[in-house]
Amino acid sequence: MAGRGQMPMMQPQVIVLKEGTDTSQGVPQLLSNISACQAICDTIRTTLGPRGMDKLIVDSQGRVTISNDGATIMKLLDVVQPAARTLVDIARAQDAEVGDGTTSVVLLAGELLKEVKDYVDEGVSSQIIIKGFRRAADLAINHIKEIAVDTDRSDKAKFRDLLEKCAATSMNSKLIGSQKEFFTKMVVDAVMRLDQDELNEDMIGIKKIPGGAMQDSILVDGVAFKKSFSYAGFEQQPKSFDLPKIVCLNVELELKAEKDNAEVRVDKVSEYQAIVDAEWKIIFDKLDSIVATGANVVLSRLPIGDLATQYFADRNIFCAGRVSKDDLDRVCEATGCRVQSTTTDLTAKHLGICERFEECQIGGQRFNVFKGCPGAKTCTIILRGGAEQFIDEVERSLHDSIMVVRRAVKNQTVVAGGGAIEMEISRYLRETARKIEGKQQLIITAVAKALEVIPRQLCENAGFDTTDFITQLRARHAQDPEKYKWYGVDIEEEKVADLFKKFVWEPALVKTNAIASAIEAACLILSVDETVTSQKSQDPMAAGQPMPGRGRGMPMGGR
Amino acid sequence: MSAIYTTDEYGRPFIIVREQDKKSRKSGIEATKSHIMAAKTVANIVRTSLGPRGLDKILISPDGDITISNDGATIMSQMAIENQIGKLLVELSKSQDDEIGDGTTGIVVLAGALLEQAEELLDRGIHPIRISDGFEKACKIAVAHLDTVSDVIPWSKEDTSDLFKCAKTSLGSKIVNKCHDQFAQIAVDAILAVADLERKDVDFELIKVEGKVGGELADTALVHGVIIDKDFSHPQMPKEVKDAKIAILTCPFEPPKPKTKHKLEITTVKEFEELQKYERETFETMVRQVKECGANIVACQWGFDDEANSLLLQHKLPAIRWVGGPEIELLAIATNGRIVPRFEDLSSEKLGSAGTIREMSFGTTNENMIVVEHCANSKAVTVLVRGGNKMIVDEAKRSLHDAMCVVRNLIVNNNVVYGGAAAEISCSIAVEKAADQVSSIEQYAMRSFARALDVIPMTLAENSGLPPIETLSYVKSQQIKQGISSLGVDCMDTGINDMKEQFVFDPLISKRQQFLLATQLVKMILKIDDVIVHRNDEQ
Repeated sequence: MAGRGQMPMMQPQVIVLKEGTDTSQGVPQLLSNISACQAICDTIRTTLGPRGMDKLIVDSQGRVTISNDGATIMKLLDVVQPAARTLVDIARAQDAEVGDGTTSVVLLAGELLKEVKDYVDEGVSSQIIIKGFRRAADLAINHIKEIAVDTDRSDKAKFRDLLEKCAATSMNSKLIGSQKEFFTKMVVDAVMRLDQDELNEDMIGIKKIPGGAMQDSILVDGVAFKKSFSYAGFEQQPKSFDLPKIVCLNVELELKAEKDNAEVRVDKVSEYQAIVDAEWKIIFDKLDSIVATGANVVLSRLPIGDLATQYFADRNIFCAGRVSKDDLDRVCEATGCRVQSTTTDLTAKHLGICERFEECQIGGQRFNVFKGCPGAKTCTIILRGGAEQFIDEVERSLHDSIMVVRRAVKNQTVVAGGGAIEMEISRYLRETARKIEGKQQLIITAVAKALEVIPRQLCENAGFDTTDFITQLRARHAQDPEKYKWYGVDIEEEKVADLFKKFVWEPALVKTNAIASAIEAACLILSVDETVTSQKSQDPMAAGQPMPGRGRGMPMGGR
Repeated sequence: MSAIYTTDEYGRPFIIVREQDKKSRKSGIEATKSHIMAAKTVANIVRTSLGPRGLDKILISPDGDITISNDGATIMSQMAIENQIGKLLVELSKSQDDEIGDGTTGIVVLAGALLEQAEELLDRGIHPIRISDGFEKACKIAVAHLDTVSDVIPWSKEDTSDLFKCAKTSLGSKIVNKCHDQFAQIAVDAILAVADLERKDVDFELIKVEGKVGGELADTALVHGVIIDKDFSHPQMPKEVKDAKIAILTCPFEPPKPKTKHKLEITTVKEFEELQKYERETFETMVRQVKECGANIVACQWGFDDEANSLLLQHKLPAIRWVGGPEIELLAIATNGRIVPRFEDLSSEKLGSAGTIREMSFGTTNENMIVVEHCANSKAVTVLVRGGNKMIVDEAKRSLHDAMCVVRNLIVNNNVVYGGAAAEISCSIAVEKAADQVSSIEQYAMRSFARALDVIPMTLAENSGLPPIETLSYVKSQQIKQGISSLGVDCMDTGINDMKEQFVFDPLISKRQQFLLATQLVKMILKIDDVIVHRNDEQ
C-alpha cells in the first residue's frame, strides 16, 4: 500500500521500482496470503449446510442483502487482497458453472491451504505441494466418477424423482428449506418446460412481488410481466382474451417529431395544416397496419403513446409499451412471434398466439399474463414474500436449484451430499497415499484431511459434537468402504447415516467441479511468491490521510 | 471491532476487504440479539395503535408535514427507520398492506412478539434454526387451525349486511369511527360498484378517493361517477349541465402544431393578418366540429387561451380544461365515451353521456369541483372525503382504503375468522396442544409461538384499558370450557365476548397472511448471524 513504511535498512537503497510501490516476497508472503484466504473462509464458513446461517450485508449505497449463497456473499464483501480475491473468483466460477456448492468450494480451498501451511513453513517447495495437489485432484475426481450412481433416464417418473431430490438438496441450506417440497416441484417443472437440448435458464422468468407468503408463489406456464406505465385510455381496453393474436414490436407508437434535428420552414399559413396532417398520417399508417393484421395484443419495447393507446382501445385491442427486452423475448419464445422493428411489412404470419391472455391483480400490482402457449419453451415463476430482501434471497436460492436441476438433466450421475462423498474421497485418498512414496504422500494425506472440512463444518453449524461425528464417520468409512460408502451427517436425526437412502443427492458434477476448482485455486495461491502493488493513483482519498515521511513522492502519475 | 484482518510477515495488519476500517461487523449470537432488540423497539412503537381503542401517532416529516395515523403501514413507512431489521419490519407491514390492505399493525406486533419469545429460547442455548423450525411447524398448525375455525359469510349483491360488518371491524380502530356506519357503507358500495363478480376481480384504479378539507367527516359521500378537481373554464358558463354529452379531448383548443421543429417567418403585415385569420378560423372550425357532433360540454386534457375560452362561451359550450390523464380516463370509462385525440375524429358515438355535470362549491372558499353523476357506466366511482383538517382527511382516506381492501378480500374469498383476537387465542390453544406431542427441541419453540400469539389479545386488552392477563386467561379458559372458538376480547365493553354476536370479522386470508408472513420474516431474521455494515462517515 502506498506510503506504508518499509523495514529500516542500513545499506543504501537501490530504487528499482517507482516510489510507493510495495513488494513483499518469499515464504512469509506465501504464509500471509494463506492467512488472508483463511480469514475469508472464516467469514462464510457458518453459511454451510441446512443449519447454516445467513449474512446481512449493507453496502456503501445502503442496499441491504441477506444471503446464504457463498458467491453472493463473496461478491459483496468487496475483497481487495489479491490472494483472497482468487477465492472470490472460484466461488463465482462455481456459481457460473454449476450454480451450487459455492460455499463448499471456498471452504475447501481455504482448508487445503491451511493443511499445507505447516509444510510451507517448514520449507517444502511449493512446486511439490502443487504437484501433490494435482495428483490428489485427479485421484479424487476419478474416484467420484467411479462411485457416482448413474440413474435411469428412460423412466420418466424416476428421472423426475432424481431431479427433485437434487433440487431439494440444494435448497436445504436456504431460507426456503422448510418449503422445499413446494419449491422443488416448481423448479423441476420450470426446468422441464425448457427446451431440453438448450436448457437456457434465461427462459425462466422470475418476477418478484412483495406481499403474500412464499407458499403463494406460482409458476405460470407462459409469460407474466408487470403492467407497464400506461396512458389514458388504457382502462378502456379489453383486459382478457381467449386465443389472442399477439404482435411484438420494437417501434415507437407515439405522435412525435420523426426526425430529431429536422426543421420545417413554413412559408404560408395554409401549409401548416398539411404538415400536421402528414405527421398524423405517419402514426395512423403505423397503427392501421397493426390493426390490419388482426392482432389482439400489441406489445412494444418502446413507448406506446396516449394516441395509440386510445386508438387501440377504440378497436378492442390491448397494448403495452415499454416492455423490457427479457420479457418480450420470452413472449416471443412462448407464442412464436418475432419482434418486428417496422410496421411496414407486417402480416398475419408475424403474429404469435396463446391460449389465454389476461391482466390480473397479483398482490398490489397488476400483471399481464400469457397462458397456455403452444411452443412454450419458457415459463415464469412469480415469487411472493414478506419483504424485498426476503424475495431476493428466495430468488437466489431458486436460481441455484434451477442450475443444479439443469446440470442434473444433462449429467445424470449423482452422489450423496451431507459430507458423505467428501468422507469417501478422503478415505480413498488416505488409502492411496500410503502406497505412494515421497513427500507426495504427505500432501495427498493433507488433501484427504482438508476434505473433512465439509462434514465438520456441517456438524459445527448444527451445533453437534464435531470430533465425535468425524471420528464416527471415519471409522464407518474405514470399516467397510462399500457398505458405508454414503455415510454422512444426517442433520435432521443428529446422527451419521446413509444419506443416499435419505435422498440427499447432488449431481456428481457439482462435486467434481468444486474439488477441481478448489485445488486449482489453492495451487494458484501457492505458486505466487511475490506481490508487487503499484502505488494507488493519487486520488482525493489520499489527501485526507497524510503519508508518513517519505511517502509524499512527486505526483509522477498524472498522465 | 472484529473486522476481518490478518497480519503479514512483519506483523503489520493488512487489508483484505476494501475500506475495511469503514465497515462494522457483528456476528454470532450478539448479532441475533441486537436484531431482536431492534425489532422489539419498532414493534413497541406501533403496538399501542392496535385495536378499536388503539391510539394514533403523529408523525412529522423532515419537511414539516404532519401525518396522524393509526395505520401500521403508514406509521412504519413514515418513521424513516435506519436500522436494517427495522426496515425489514417496515417492508413486512408494507407487504401486508399491498396484499391485504388491513392488519398491518397486527402483523408487526406478532413479529415483534415472536422475536421476543425467540430471545428467551436463545438464552437457553437453543440453536436459532431449531427455533425457526419450531415456529414454522407451529405456524403450519395455526394456519390449518384457522381453516377449521373459519366461517363462510354469505353475501350477494343484494344482501351486503355481512360485508358491511367486516368493513366496520376494519374501521373500528380508526379515527373515522365517529361515522362508522357511513364509512363502512361507502366502502361496501364502492367496491360492489366496480367489482367484476364473475372473475372475482376488483380493480382499484376505478375507485378514486378525493379529499377536500372542510365540512366534517359525516359529509363524506360516494359519487357514482367522477369528481374532477377543476372548475369550468369561464366563470359565466352554466354551473350545471343536464343530460350531458361530453366530448373528451386530448388535444388543445389551438391550431395544431407539428411536432417536428418548425419555423414560420412573417415578413409582411399581410402575412400576419393571414395568420391571425387562420387561427381564428381554426378555433371556429373546432368549436363547430364539437357542436356538430352533438356535444354540449367539453373536457380537455390541455388548455386553451382566453380567446378560445370566450369563443366557447359565445357558443354556449361549457368546457373544463387541464383535466389530468387519470381523470380523463376515469371520465371516459364512467361516461362510456371515447378519448378523442383530434377534432377531425369527433363523432356522436364517441361522446360520453352523463345525467348531470355540475360544479360544486365548498363553503366560503373559492374552490370548486366538478361532479359528473348518473353516468352511462357506473363502474367508476369516486369517494369524496371531507374533514376538518388535512390530517383527518388523509387519515380518513387511508382508513377507507383499508376498509375497501377488506371488502375486496371478502369478495375474492368469503371465508372469515372472528376478530377481537378470538382467532389468535384459538390458534394459540391449538398450537399449545400440538406442541405437547412433539418430542424434539421444537416443542419449546412451538410453545413460544403460542405465547407470541397471546400477545395480540393482551395488547388489545391493554389498549382497551382492560387488565391484559386477566382478560386473556378468562377468554382462554372460556374458549376451552365452552368449546366456542369465536370468543374474543371485548374491547368495546359491551359485555359480550362472543365475537359472532358482536359481528367482528376479519377475512381469513388476512389472518393467514399475517401468520405466514410474520413467521417467515422472523425465520429470516433468526437465520442471520453476521452483519457487515458499510458506514458512511459523513458525520
